[in-house]
Amino acid sequence: MLRRLSNRSSRVLGATLAAALVFAGCTHTPPTRYVPITGDALVDGKAHLEAALPKDRVLWEYRVAATAMRRGIFDEARAQLDGALSQAAANYGNISAQAAKSRRMFRRESDKPFIGEPYERALAHFYRAILYWQDGEPDNARALLRTAQLLDSDTADKTYAGDYVLFDYLEGFVTSRLGGNGSDALARARANARAQGRAVPPDYDTAANVLVFAEFGRGPQKYSDGQYNERLKFTTTPSAAQSAVLEVAGRRVSLPAYDDLNFQATTRGGRVMDHILGNKAVFKGTAEGVGDVALVGATVAADNIYRYDGTYNRDAANVAIALAAVGIISKLTASATTPEADTRTWDNIPQYLSFAALRLEPGEYPATITFLDASGRPVANGRRDFTLTVAAQSESIGARRQDTVVFLSQLFN
Amino acid sequence: MKQLALPSLALGCAVLVFAGCSPSRGVKNPSGVPVTEMKADERGFVAGTGVESQDLVAVTDKMARSILAIPQIARAQTPPTVVLEDVVNDTRFPINRNIFLTRIRASLNSKAAGRVNFLARDRMNALERERALKQQGNVTASADPHVVEFLGADYFLTGRLEGMSGRTSAGVSDYILYSFQLIDARTSAIVWEDFAEIKKQGLEDAAYR
Repeated sequence: MLRRLSNRSSRVLGATLAAALVFAGCTHTPPTRYVPITGDALVDGKAHLEAALPKDRVLWEYRVAATAMRRGIFDEARAQLDGALSQAAANYGNISAQAAKSRRMFRRESDKPFIGEPYERALAHFYRAILYWQDGEPDNARALLRTAQLLDSDTADKTYAGDYVLFDYLEGFVTSRLGGNGSDALARARANARAQGRAVPPDYDTAANVLVFAEFGRGPQKYSDGQYNERLKFTTTPSAAQSAVLEVAGRRVSLPAYDDLNFQATTRGGRVMDHILGNKAVFKGTAEGVGDVALVGATVAADNIYRYDGTYNRDAANVAIALAAVGIISKLTASATTPEADTRTWDNIPQYLSFAALRLEPGEYPATITFLDASGRPVANGRRDFTLTVAAQSESIGARRQDTVVFLSQLFN
Repeated sequence: MKQLALPSLALGCAVLVFAGCSPSRGVKNPSGVPVTEMKADERGFVAGTGVESQDLVAVTDKMARSILAIPQIARAQTPPTVVLEDVVNDTRFPINRNIFLTRIRASLNSKAAGRVNFLARDRMNALERERALKQQGNVTASADPHVVEFLGADYFLTGRLEGMSGRTSAGVSDYILYSFQLIDARTSAIVWEDFAEIKKQGLEDAAYR
């Protein structure tokens, strides 16, 4: 009898353990292809993009686009940004099955197709706006600047809603250039700048034909925090470079930091997804607690399988087995619950954005941009020499006015 | 058997709980979706809240019909010459600015051939280069190339897209007003104007909010 029951017990326990082994690895991570590293950020980025899972493509498109912008390969940047932004825009009005799945208890948030947090999406729109302006389509640039500002409008604390300085400033600039009234946008930009303690942008010079966009510093990086890494947080390392100055044609043009992406990333407040992840974390904690209690109970019951007189206590054995099964199931459930926040980061993002508009006659100008620290001294390796080429306007009938758009970055990749 | 009922039930529950763990289950269209040919005026399955082909078709069809009905076109003794002036995009969506006017022009040319002449101002670079070659005698000319024959405009056809957008936790809302005008090049009078308006709303998945 004793032997028979022991066999049964061991069979049940064996089955439970087998179930544990079977289901322990049920959180599936699709394999990623090996990508050889060459050291060239653009080549490596494109190789990663080629090998990326569909859910990560936009992340790599953002990274490649940023590198291409800094190297002046604007066709590449344009193509990557168009791909990324169309993916992000398609999320409105289309049900994303993958995004929906990422909300499930046993799926990771990082299973959703990446489109970025609002500050990342806003920067992608900003970059594409620069390229539209470069192509002689300032109204399309304005369209993207508006969308970028809109992306920042759903903050938890409305004080920080739509508070990018440059987006409003440039929207008004384009409006003024197209014959409209950009004074409202200028007023909003200045109010945002004052509220954030930043440089107040100047009046519009609608006759300016050279538009200089500059970026410096490394932007925010993501990490997860909390008992189960369910909270999305940001690492912000203040940039040594706090401003820049452009020297061209005997002039010194100031490029102050109008926008700070560290500030933008950390002032959004809680996400709806944070509540979902919080609930997952609570569930995971509860399941772990239930598992602990059940396993302790199973141990206590197992101690009472034999009575003091040496006879077998069938009820205690059944209770021990049942509690062990419940404990293991609870532990498995807790193990399979994935409340971890998505920390995929557009990691080559800048911290500061700046802009200046100036008038120059057509021609080639030797120019220098110097990135400065808070005391106005050049930062290490913070000086770049380049040639600024201002193209002559076409005098053909019906030709559009074409601005010279310059993009300067302290970052190399 | 009775002794094993409880553990077996527990194991059964475990199977049910983890049944959804298989990575291939629940994936829609694992092999992708074959190319689907759609009409330009129907809403596709990747629609957003921005300007899309169905909006373009609806708006430009309405404008083309409306222009043909005005007296300056319908009763003109000689076909008026019209220059397309870039549409101004005042929305939050980047668009191909020419596509609206291109479709209106093509629609008018195909449905009312000869009643309106459009001038190819967007090709002036090539036209001026050709004229210069003729003036220099590098290529043949069927008429005196020194006589200016490039036509001036009787009217400018232009338009404007203006938008109003909002975003809250309830979603994003986009209203776009499409207005088009025919402007007398001599007097600056707006001889025709019509509009269309479209509003769309959408909400992102909570995973992105």
